[in-house]
Amino acid sequence: MLELRDLVCRYGKVTAVKGLSLKVERGQLVALIGTNGAGKTTTLKAISGLLPPSGGSIWFDGVDITRASARKILSLGIAQCPEGRHVFPYMTVTENLEMGCYLRTDKQEIAADFERMFEQFPRLAERRLQPAGTLSGGEQQMLAIARALMSRPKLMLFDEPSLGLAPNFVERTFDIITNIRANGTTVLMVEQNALAALEMCDHAYLLESGSLALSGSGAELIDNPHVRSAYLAG
Amino acid sequence: MDQLLQHLLNATILGGTYALLGIGLTLIFGIMRVVNFTHGELYAFGAYCMYALVMPLGLNFFMALVVAMALGALLGATIELLLLSRLRGADIDTTMLVMIGAWIALQNAEQLAWTGVALSINNPFPSEPLIVGPLSVSWNRVYVFFVALLLILGTYYLINRTHLGKAMRATFQDRDTAALMGIRIDRIHTATFALGSALAAAAGALLGPVFVVAPTMGDLAAAKAFAIVILGGLGNIKGATLGGFILAFVEELGAGYISSGYRDAMGFLLIILILLFRPTGLFAQKERVG
Repeated sequence: MLELRDLVCRYGKVTAVKGLSLKVERGQLVALIGTNGAGKTTTLKAISGLLPPSGGSIWFDGVDITRASARKILSLGIAQCPEGRHVFPYMTVTENLEMGCYLRTDKQEIAADFERMFEQFPRLAERRLQPAGTLSGGEQQMLAIARALMSRPKLMLFDEPSLGLAPNFVERTFDIITNIRANGTTVLMVEQNALAALEMCDHAYLLESGSLALSGSGAELIDNPHVRSAYLAG
Repeated sequence: MDQLLQHLLNATILGGTYALLGIGLTLIFGIMRVVNFTHGELYAFGAYCMYALVMPLGLNFFMALVVAMALGALLGATIELLLLSRLRGADIDTTMLVMIGAWIALQNAEQLAWTGVALSINNPFPSEPLIVGPLSVSWNRVYVFFVALLLILGTYYLINRTHLGKAMRATFQDRDTAALMGIRIDRIHTATFALGSALAAAAGALLGPVFVVAPTMGDLAAAKAFAIVILGGLGNIKGATLGGFILAFVEELGAGYISSGYRDAMGFLLIILILLFRPTGLFAQKERVG
């Protein structure tokens, strides 16, 4: 479904991603793990079209999206729930969700999706007219996820979904992601909480300073001595 | 007492156009982070369009306003596409210098096209003022006030209720995330600059027939627009609306009761005081646009 071939990304003179190749198959939940600065977020930005790659290519359903605009990529079916949630703080919960379906024109279906989101996230329904900036961190994460779902994506990218959340919300967030996959949406997730990510994924890639260090099923990586000592210590 | 009421009425009517002048500028700063030094020239451009459309071309006075606004939007979009779109990501100083250059170029172009002689525009209103009790006001000014009010309300509606307005606010609040939503950031920038420019042109087209039209008319308008925007807090539309009215009241009462020679100085004195004591503006709040 999604394939990166020798992806290279630079910020000025710094090369953040150095020739990364990976695949996400339809229906899978794939995790991308690694330390801070390993190039995970950069990779997601490149897939979403926010950062034009310096080399290599990105393919989605057989279409080359390496240099496509963020709008084009979204319209092909890739949505992203960005790191740090990034809700629009001065817009209401409802307006944030409206932004999520900015490109859609099927009014009736949109109304149905609103109902579905509010049913699934009752806290958002209660706060639908509140500015998103007044929500708690966990509620903002729910909103960011719901907003991304409003585009009805085929592939959802999650960037550090558990970062900065209270423990009960961390668990909730992972449950929601598992659910999204169960409902047929493919997921590519970047996560620092390596153990949780490896336990829930079908396949995982370990990034170290911009390059692929290891890949395999979640269970294989959990058993790997290097992963155990460097990422799952304790 | 009657004199005070007359001053208050004059101030209210003047405040409407000041607010209109202010929101165009604050919108562009709030969304694009561009200090728009061409704002006053777009105001002058609106007035000149009004002159050209009504006097030599003989277009209907009311239609001319609509056409002047459209031309203002077009000129704004052109400035954005020619200059600002190349400066995305440049620091604010660079953008400011370029806009100062554009300001000078536009002003001289106006002088070249229409010469330095002040021009006046005929209006279709009765020359007798409207008299209500002890108060009198010209029909043209009443018209100006209500059109300004309509345009301000229209802008609020556009920003808060429409698809385009929401995309503008989203872009301002979080650019990258707005791009992730499929919003075309470049188009939003052009549309925002065009909208701010159309509002400036509208203010010029409304006030052109009240005063006279001259190439340097934009300078004072720009200075006042900046004063209004600073009063209200940069990027704050509600603040700019209130700021426009406050500036008008200070000027009108200052001119009426202190000295009419210092009318334009009153506003700037107020700005100095505000910058000293409340540098973020009178209505500083977190939300800037909307």
